[in-house]
Order: sequence, then structure tokens, then C-alpha cells
Amino acid sequence: MDAPAIRIKAVYAHLDCLLTGIERLKKAGYSGFTVQAPLPRHEIEEIMYEGQPSHVRWWTLTGAITGLATGLLLTALTHATWPMINPGGKPVVAIVPFTVIMFECTILFGALATFAGMMFHAGLPTYWFDRALRDPRMTDASFGITFLRALPKDKDRITDLLRQSGASEVTTGDDTVYEVPNDG
Amino acid sequence: MALVEVIDPNDPGKPNRPQTYQESNRDIIRVLLKPSSMYIAALLLTIAMMGYGGWCWYQQIVWGMGVAGITHPTMWGVYIVTFVFWIGIGHAGTLISAILFLVRSRWRTGVYRASEAMTVFAVMTALLFPVLHLGRCWQAYWFFPYPNQRELWMNFKSPLMWDVFAISTYFTVSSVFFFVGLIPDIAIFRDHSRGLVKQIYGLLSLGWRGTHRQWHAYMAAYGFFAAFAAPLVLSVHSVVSWDFAMAPTAGWHSTIFPPYFVAGAIYSGCAMVISLLMPMSYLFNWHKYVNTWHYENLAKMCLLTSGILTYAYGMEYFVSWYSQNPYEQTIFVWRATLSADYGWAFYLMVFCNCIAPLAWYSKRMRTNPWSLYIIAALVNVGMWMERFNIVVSSLAHNFDPATWWQYVPTWIEVGILVGSAGWFMFWFLLFCKTFPAVAITEIKEMVTPPVKGRLEA
Repeated sequence: MDAPAIRIKAVYAHLDCLLTGIERLKKAGYSGFTVQAPLPRHEIEEIMYEGQPSHVRWWTLTGAITGLATGLLLTALTHATWPMINPGGKPVVAIVPFTVIMFECTILFGALATFAGMMFHAGLPTYWFDRALRDPRMTDASFGITFLRALPKDKDRITDLLRQSGASEVTTGDDTVYEVPNDG
Repeated sequence: MALVEVIDPNDPGKPNRPQTYQESNRDIIRVLLKPSSMYIAALLLTIAMMGYGGWCWYQQIVWGMGVAGITHPTMWGVYIVTFVFWIGIGHAGTLISAILFLVRSRWRTGVYRASEAMTVFAVMTALLFPVLHLGRCWQAYWFFPYPNQRELWMNFKSPLMWDVFAISTYFTVSSVFFFVGLIPDIAIFRDHSRGLVKQIYGLLSLGWRGTHRQWHAYMAAYGFFAAFAAPLVLSVHSVVSWDFAMAPTAGWHSTIFPPYFVAGAIYSGCAMVISLLMPMSYLFNWHKYVNTWHYENLAKMCLLTSGILTYAYGMEYFVSWYSQNPYEQTIFVWRATLSADYGWAFYLMVFCNCIAPLAWYSKRMRTNPWSLYIIAALVNVGMWMERFNIVVSSLAHNFDPATWWQYVPTWIEVGILVGSAGWFMFWFLLFCKTFPAVAITEIKEMVTPPVKGRLEA
């Protein structure tokens, strides 16, 4: 039977060391690790995603098209069903005045779909992150690389790579859990 | 990998920039400390104002719309004036957070979160007024399209219906944009608090941990929100202006209204940001993050929009003369007649909106706190007067001289106006004390990132 997977976590005080660590891990063929940062840095995004844009954009496009169609259908079908509402002798289905509603629905549905897409792709809301990732230093000033399920045979190689890249702290197993002093 | 090439050194020219990520965290988190007596006094004042406004509303519900001064032909009075005013106030927030984000303007960082909060609370305040104006506020749900057995459906060709859609979309999108921006900062508050407070912030931060997957989705979504909010901010006040411009009423029926209203909205909003942030910066000691640099840029925005507004005022007069339409000419001459019913409102508007801000062409006046505060307050008064001037004068002096009437707001309407200011300030004060009103994450982006030196991968 295989030995159980282990956690490995490196904490970095410097951005350049973090980027070096990520690059060395990728060069060595490792993946499946999580990078944490207290702020968005395009350098991290470039290394992790290699210029691939987020899939959130498809949610935005779908939402906007749905909104446009909803705006058109809501206005046109309402007036087609109740044609008595006809001020100023406009056509029953008058596209120009309906454009405002269509525009607003496009924006509304597009923005809400973007929000839903962001939540989906960011994995939010979640309150059950592994304890190794619930490190308050990562929202303060530190950067981190965490393997939640590294193979035990890779442990030494990974920790060496992380240490050599300039990590200020490399921990494994239960030591990866940050203990908040006197936390209520 | 040559990291020197990928790390963008930040602009070193701005004073008092925080040096480390920790420093920006600590500075903003300080707001969670015990509130000062001045803060509590300000909060109590806003509660008293809200209480008074609520009591006035209660009187209106009990006695009916007769207690308000609106009557034929001035069926739109202080409520609609104040509604347009608060919607206008909301515009600067989205402009600063979305449009200035898209053009990568650096000075927005310190002020955009408070401006966004101002937008959301100003629209929340504005949304009270159609309900107040309705009289039978318990039937406010009739505003929205829903299937019903009375066959009462909406007239989507009416600008009032466009307005319902524009403002509810604006409120929803602004709130979502505002909340999304707050998520990483609430996570910082969570990680610096304890007990029940930590649990509440933990719930609101949605479990944010700053993973690369979260930042990737967040940054993409943030850009899209900004791209949606930018045309939205321009459309909302255009739609509000059509509430007036679509009506064949003299003084309203004009194609210049949309740009004129949008410029006015941004103008009043930027002035309100100055009015709010100066005392807040003093109260919470944000001087490192919100300082003369930001106020001066806001004053420049005001100068630009004041110029557009002054041009629009002049153009209205030119067009009424050029059109040779006697009704248009009459209303514009009447508005500017000092001895007429609302001449004082017209001249107060011109002074506050066109003349007073000219002082800001001097850098000394743009950087002087008293000049900034007083002129920003005058602009807010002037912008309320502008809406009063447009809404009331055209109705009070309509086509039929037999119906001419001088509308004077009653103390109930004034009380509700005061109450609305209290309601707005209450939420704003509460927000500044419990949430990061200066965007910590974006402030961190201005800090030179910690680097050890050039390392080879």
C-alpha cells in the first residue's frame, strides 16, 4: 500500500524568491501546488497561467447576450400582449425606446454572470480550505507555495527546491498549519 | 529569469507612501479600534436626523400627501429634486472606481473605496424618494414588472420605466462591484481580528485566501465589472435626464440634457467626495493615503465638469433664443429674473456651480483645506439648487398662466430632506468604522514589492 500524501508548505518574504520557487518547481515537472499572495501580482499570474485568460470571460459574454435577449423579449412581448399601451403613436414593438431596457438588461445580466463566474472559478464561497492554506500571513505580507498532496518520495526534492529558491520557512505534514497565537 | 525586468518599480514621487505591506495593513486596520467621542457624536447626530426624517414621513403616511407642498401644477417638488441630487452624488464613485481604473489613473487608489461606498449609500438614499413621492409607499412594488391578474403591465416606452431599470441596474452593479473589491480586504480584517468579529469577517470574506486561482478569477472579473460600470455610469444620469427631456415641457425638452446631467452628476459627486473624505481623513488619520494630492485631483475634475456645466447653462439660453420658441424664451427669462419666484435659486446655482469653483484655478486654493472644503460644500448646495431650478420652475410656470403657482416646500419635505442626509451619513460613518474604507490591497500594489535581489531560475 502506498504511503499517504503529505503537505509541504513554503513561506516567502520576497516576491522574486517566490517566482524563482515556482519556476524551479515547474521546471522539475511538479504541478498541483497552490500559490498564495497578499495582493494580485501579474508576474505570478504569468508564470502560473502562461498568459491564458480566465474563463470568467465566457460567463460575462453569456450573461450579456442573455440580458440583451431578455430585454428585447420582456419589452416586445409585453407590448405585443398589451398593445393598448401605445403612447405617441409609436409602433407596438418600438425598438428605439426598448433599446434603453435592452442596454440595462445587458449590463445587469452581464455583471451578475461575471460575479457568478468569478465565484465559480475562484472556488468561492468556501469555508473548508485545508488548514495549511488558512495562514493569516498570506493576507498580510508573505507569499506561499503549498502542496496539499505531495508524494512522500518527492518530499526531499521539493523541500530542497523550495529552500534553495529562498523560502524563509519550509514545513511539512502537520507543521504546515499556522497556529494563531491566543486566537479566540 | 531576470526579475528586475518583470517587477514594475512604483512611482516614488508621492509623499508618505507606505514602505511595506504590513504598514498599509496596520494603518487601515486601526479603524477597528475603539471609536472616538467625535465619531460617536457624529453617529448620534445622523441618527437624530434620520429620526426626524422618519417622523416627518410618518406624518405624511398618516395625513396623506397634503402635508407636502406638491400640488397642481408642481407635482414634482423636493422629493424628485432630492432624488435626482442623490443619484447624481452616486456618479463620482463609479467614475473613480471604474473609469479611472480602466485608464490606470494612480490617484484613484486612496479614494476609490470610500467613493464607491458613497455611490452605494447615495443610491440607497435616492431609492427612498420615489417611494416617498408615491404617497402610498406600501404599493411600491408596482414599480416592477411582474405577472399579475389586474393586467397592469409596464409601459416600456416611458422614460420613467427606463429610469426604474437604469437605477435598479446601477444599484445592483455598483453594489456587486463594491462587494467584490472588498473581499480581499475583508479577509485581511478577518486575519487581524478575533472571536465573533473574526467569524463575521470570515463569513463576509467568503473564505478568501489569496490563492493564485482566486486572484486570477478576481482580476478578470474586476476588469469586466469596470468595463460594464463605465458605460453604465454615463447612461444612468442620461436616463434620469430623459425623465425631463422626453416631456414637451418648456425648459425640459432639450437634447442637451443627457451630457449636461452626466457632467453635473460627476461634478456634484466629486465635490461630495471632497466633503466626505476631508473630515473622515481627520477622524481616522488617513493622511498618508488620502491627502492633498487626491483632493487636488478631485478639484481638477470639478473644474472640468464645472466648465461643461457652465457651457450647458449658457447653451440653454442660446438655444431658447435661437429657437424663437416663445414658451422656451419665457421660461428661461423668468428663471433668471431676480424678482421672480425662483430667481434667488437661479443666482445661487450660478454662483455655487459656475463662479465659486473658479478659485480652484489657483493651485494655492486647490491645495488649501479650507478653500477645498468650503467650495465643495457650495458646489453641493449649487447642484441641489440646479435640480430645484429645473424641476420646479418649469412646472410652476407651465403653458397655462391660469395654473401658475409658487411652490414652497413644507417643513415635512424639508424634514425628509434632512433625514435623507442623516440616512446617507449614518451608513457612510458605519461603513468607515467597520470596513476598509481605504482599499488595502490596491494600496499594497503601490508599495515596491519586497525583493531579495536578482536570482537565476
